[in-house]
Amino acid sequence: MKNSFVELHARERALSLLDANTAREIVGPLDDMISPHLEPQDIVPESDDGIVLMRGKIEGKQVLIVSIEGKFQGGGIGEVSGAKIVAALEKVLEENKNGNTIYPIIVLDTGGVRLQEANYGLLSISEIQNVVIALKKFVPVIGLVPGRVGSFGGMSITASILSYLIATNKARIALNGPEVIEQEAGVREFDSSDKDLIWDTLGTKQRQATDLVDEVVDDSVDSIKESIVNEIKAKKDAHRTENVDFYLSLLDKLDLNKKLDIDSYNKLFQSVVATEHRIPEAVVGEKEGTKSRGRLWFEKLTGIKNATSPVSTVLHAQKDGKEFIAIVPDADNKFPRVREGEVGLQEGFAVASIVNQIVAEDKDKDVKRPIVLVVDVPSQAYGYQEELIGIHVALGSSAAAYAKARQAGHPVIDFIPGDAVSGGFLAHGLQSNRMIALDDDSITIQAMSKASAARITQRTIAELEEATKHVPAMAYDIDNYEKLGALYKLVKGIGSWEATDENIDKIKELINQAIDSLDGDTSLHFRYQTEIAKSSGRKSTLQVRKLVDEEWSK
Amino acid sequence: MEKLHFNFDTKDAISKPVHVGVVASGDLEVIFRPTDKETEVNIVTGSDGFKEVWGNVLKRFFDRYPIQANIEINDFGSTPGVVNLRLTQALEELKDEK
Repeated sequence: MKNSFVELHARERALSLLDANTAREIVGPLDDMISPHLEPQDIVPESDDGIVLMRGKIEGKQVLIVSIEGKFQGGGIGEVSGAKIVAALEKVLEENKNGNTIYPIIVLDTGGVRLQEANYGLLSISEIQNVVIALKKFVPVIGLVPGRVGSFGGMSITASILSYLIATNKARIALNGPEVIEQEAGVREFDSSDKDLIWDTLGTKQRQATDLVDEVVDDSVDSIKESIVNEIKAKKDAHRTENVDFYLSLLDKLDLNKKLDIDSYNKLFQSVVATEHRIPEAVVGEKEGTKSRGRLWFEKLTGIKNATSPVSTVLHAQKDGKEFIAIVPDADNKFPRVREGEVGLQEGFAVASIVNQIVAEDKDKDVKRPIVLVVDVPSQAYGYQEELIGIHVALGSSAAAYAKARQAGHPVIDFIPGDAVSGGFLAHGLQSNRMIALDDDSITIQAMSKASAARITQRTIAELEEATKHVPAMAYDIDNYEKLGALYKLVKGIGSWEATDENIDKIKELINQAIDSLDGDTSLHFRYQTEIAKSSGRKSTLQVRKLVDEEWSK
Repeated sequence: MEKLHFNFDTKDAISKPVHVGVVASGDLEVIFRPTDKETEVNIVTGSDGFKEVWGNVLKRFFDRYPIQANIEINDFGSTPGVVNLRLTQALEELKDEK
């Protein structure tokens, strides 16, 4: 195709958008900043790790283009690639704070987390989301989804947070790819061989019809550049993750007894009138809720027996001046895909509503209320209607709410007595600035189940398990997770189900210590600053940050 | 994945480092760096068992263009024709006075 943008590689894409002779690449292929995690898994690396950072000008205005190479490992985000994006966007933030306007533009061509570096991918993506939220106070953060890969997984959550999203009709946006949904929920839920169904559901046309994409452009360099120029001038912001009341109202009206088809969803979308939703604090109930580690610790930490809430899967309550929030399973939930405690549409929007409320209430207070997340999320919900409605926006809404709360000065602390997996963890956990976890074998921390990860990376489960032995970021257990350096505290000697009075006191004390340790820190930098992070866990991240710093103003 | 290493006795110095290509399916990236030592080629390839083919492709290239360089190749299953194309593109980049 003549002048096609989609056909270009990441570097050519960045160059094609910039004014002639203004481009300068930051940490390029000659800097030798290669992922150390791929070769040990027999995967050929790329010298730029699939991320192109290009400073330059568009019609005289300063920009940074972050261009993700969709053809290298599906545009997956690992440690080096993620750190490149985060470090460069933090530089742009610093420049804008100093009055030097630079517009960040992100070309999303990505499957999300790079499964071969899973836990690094999740950490990095949460850090990208955090800096995007901070940047939006100064400049619009423009997203472009050209295709062929589209924007999936954790990076679809990032896409939902961006100010303005431009796409060609060769793109798709979704949290879970059809193959993963089929793997996790069965072929009846989503048939990954039905290409028409996939494009009708996740394709740009449908996404624009329900405001999940702001503008559709032709696949040509000129028309894409023109729409970016217009957007820089107009500074539009879709506020996509702030429509919490609208979506909660929509979910109220959803008929879950029949399978949702696209036409009836679009009619529903058009007809919904947003009404205010406030999720009240959990109260003592008569009936025991569905058992989970998250529920157990929430009830013990808040002293609310059989905690119940109008949104049965989202519990929150104030105790000792802190706000506790948990996402819990409900075996009788009307949404079938969240019955095991997964984070779905209602969970994402309800948590966002709660956190936004807390931030609003404390707006004028000098000392902001700490928010403690009880984390036990086995994954995000895998379902067809979840994708059609836009579960990535639900998860983006809660991630954005937590990030805003932390940036406003609320201590955001994770207590992890259960699983912390994938999109569920991005939505409820990874925006915290201190993480406390129990050292219990039953805890899973990862980006994808073994069955799905094996299918997507085209390996056998045996090969995948072999890789987890050499690469801590690939592993599924909390002890390997500790090796990344992100934890504030790994608590030995308390099991996931051992919420005794004595243990509760210990955890409360640790939460207080974590809050005290913040000392005004509202960032996510703690993760790079622990001894483990510095000596091994985030060595490459720190090297990337140093290089970006050195090359930024050269 | 297989790592391969070759040396060549070539003496035409190059003026600057260059990079071309992408590690996409059926494609590769090539980096040339100036060196005053022996010409060295280090390859990481996703397709095992093609050492002889690589040796032939590289020998033909250096016979025609005896550049002295440190060369890195990351390959994701490209054919000899594509390898030769990328090597020649990297040479073009060297001539590009920008």
